[in-house]
Amino acid sequence: MNPAETGPGPLSRVTGGLRSLFDAHDGAADRVRGRNESAWLLPNGQGRTNHRLREDMHRYSPDDVVDAVIVGCGAGGATAAQRLARAGWSVVAIDAGPFWDPDQDWVSDEAGSHHLYWTEPRVIDGENPVPLGSNNSGRGVGGSMVHYAGYAPRFHPSDFHTHSVDGVGADWPIDYDDLRPFYEAIEGELPVAGQDWPWGDPHRYPHRAHPVGGNGEVFQRGALAQGIDFRVGPVAITNGRFGNRPHCIYRGFCLQGCKVNAKASPLITHVPDALAHGAEIRADAMVVGIDVDERTGRATGVRYLRGGREYRQRAGHVLLAGYSIETPRLLLNSASKRFPEGLCNDFDLVGRYLMVQGAPQTAGRFTQEIRMYKAPPPEVSSEQFYETDPTKPYKRGFSIQTVSPLPITWAEHVAGQGHWGEDLRRYMRDYVHWSVLGALCEFLPQARNRVTLAEEKDRYGLPVAHFSYSQCENDKHLLKAAQQVMEGILTAAGASETITFTRNAHLVGGARMATDEHSGVVGADCRTFAVPNLLIVDGSVLPTQGSANPALTIMANSARAAERLVHTAASR
Amino acid sequence: MVSDGPALAGTTPGGQPVRFPGFDVLAQVDHWDPVTAGVVLARLSLPSPLRFFTVAEEGIAGALLDHLLDQYEDPRVPVLQMIDVRLTEKQTDGWHYADLPEDGQAWRDSLRAIDDDARSRFDASFTECTGEQQKTLIQAVQDTEGKPWHGMRADRIWSLWTRYACTAFYAHPWAWNEIGFSGPAYPRGYKNPGIDAREPYEVRDHLPIDPTRETS
Repeated sequence: MNPAETGPGPLSRVTGGLRSLFDAHDGAADRVRGRNESAWLLPNGQGRTNHRLREDMHRYSPDDVVDAVIVGCGAGGATAAQRLARAGWSVVAIDAGPFWDPDQDWVSDEAGSHHLYWTEPRVIDGENPVPLGSNNSGRGVGGSMVHYAGYAPRFHPSDFHTHSVDGVGADWPIDYDDLRPFYEAIEGELPVAGQDWPWGDPHRYPHRAHPVGGNGEVFQRGALAQGIDFRVGPVAITNGRFGNRPHCIYRGFCLQGCKVNAKASPLITHVPDALAHGAEIRADAMVVGIDVDERTGRATGVRYLRGGREYRQRAGHVLLAGYSIETPRLLLNSASKRFPEGLCNDFDLVGRYLMVQGAPQTAGRFTQEIRMYKAPPPEVSSEQFYETDPTKPYKRGFSIQTVSPLPITWAEHVAGQGHWGEDLRRYMRDYVHWSVLGALCEFLPQARNRVTLAEEKDRYGLPVAHFSYSQCENDKHLLKAAQQVMEGILTAAGASETITFTRNAHLVGGARMATDEHSGVVGADCRTFAVPNLLIVDGSVLPTQGSANPALTIMANSARAAERLVHTAASR
Repeated sequence: MVSDGPALAGTTPGGQPVRFPGFDVLAQVDHWDPVTAGVVLARLSLPSPLRFFTVAEEGIAGALLDHLLDQYEDPRVPVLQMIDVRLTEKQTDGWHYADLPEDGQAWRDSLRAIDDDARSRFDASFTECTGEQQKTLIQAVQDTEGKPWHGMRADRIWSLWTRYACTAFYAHPWAWNEIGFSGPAYPRGYKNPGIDAREPYEVRDHLPIDPTRETS
């Protein structure tokens, strides 16, 4: 089957996208509404925020002992909050950043979106230091998914056994099959749009694939010429109306926060339903410590700063979801007599095995105008090179996706080639002729890649994170191989010249899941080995990362952890 | 409408709209949401007086940025002032290298360092050097790559300079006019994505010179 013939496009027809409004999978949407009403709790007019729902939000007193306090309202934390609130738990979810209103707080502008990123100080180090901030770190309710591109692929079944099968990475204490039902559930709730997916565990998506713009068209044309299989999607962007969320308008500013409510983030996919079921979102509050009762060994709650005052929130369970830098940092900053090296750090594992994906971007120059900014950056992808190829000198692989940088990000790419002055301006004036693809390379987990505490302190008086990263040989092989494939695709599509800029994307690991406390911080159900009522439900628990964007897996794993928590508590 | 004044219509940095003649991203401002319009239009207002850079640093940074961005003619994107605001407000990217101080101090240290280079090489302060001499000194920093330069890794200073310079310059609607970028598109969105497809208000590239094939 030729994907170019079955998919939308090569030439995009936005009207085709609009037409699908009337034949979206209503049955799927109805089933979603029964378990997560978020999309129907958003306003059905011009505004994007249900202010009434927020005003009416239940507010707990710090003296209340809630069933669960959650630290962080991104992919992991907000999903858990919604699931626990639905199960009747009293939940307070605390976030260091704002409770965003897309109408007022977000703009269609690159430089004006700086406040979406976590820009508190951090120190980066190692042989290959990884820039943070805009690259991979979110702030406020919705977390990094507010500014992620929107790609929502699943991991492959092989990702859960890379050590036993390939002799690299780590085996998870759970299987792909353990996550599959949660993948399906979350794909319905986001919802994800894309062509039928042939890689990993083949599956379908609730929304049909979007039409593609110039950049996607280039990818399709080049891949077809190279015999490389590709698909449109998978993106967590509505294609057709979903609840009160409108269809995508193809404005290209996905990475600046979606003002349309078309691109999924927990702010609109899980927080509204959590509020409707009694959860409290406590924004602008920085958690600074986790309290553990020395006598019982159980967590009793968290301490946080808000408006210049310190408060405590007591809880029966504490769930951490601050992502791969802040979760380890909070554990390390929560040292006590019982845990002198940091909470849950008896075996020196907190902060280790942190991973980024190598994300080289290759750009191709075309005679025609591509104008890649005129569509969502996430359009087309290929997982043909995802799995280990026994004929290659490296293990595991990479995926290829359209990325479509806006001018400031594109200038970084051009300046990264060494161009400055007149040379830089000349390249930049040529912006409309360039097409850009990005790869995600499966960098391997290594003990030395880790978060520790720096000498430097932030404005809360807490030591900031020191993040050290060094690539291994396998990582470097993957970067080269991915670059070659992208150069091949662009050249086959007609590019006269290609240039590559090497960067990194995403974060996972840092408090990984394992079978026992000698190899990980949490067990299969995301419960820490050291403190029975302390869980970690964000991306830091992932033992490997595949070459898939991690958001969907973080949400699916959090939904699973929440379900297990509810069942365990009920059976006690 | 803001864009009606003839002095503003289709302005490009340096005043030479070569490739997209007549293209004026600000002509679409009525179609932008008010919050976005406010953020973008604020960049056209009179820049605030410098607060971060000292007078000595102002001279060095101003010349350095002019060269990095090839900005020698008015109208100029006020990148020096835009960077000064960022550094005053400590609006960093959320990280710094372990072997460098935070961004503000790294700017001060590196400006002093290139001034030292000027004095030892040309026996003059950086601001007193000719434009060609200044460019030679800048090129030498880039050529030092990952090696130490006044106790700092030159490539990391290079990245600091170009990152701040490009972020300021390409945030400005005059730069968008120059490169044919249509800027904000909410709530309208785009109706004509695809190769060689344009919105009614977009202008075709009139001088499609392939930069990879041309050298100056």
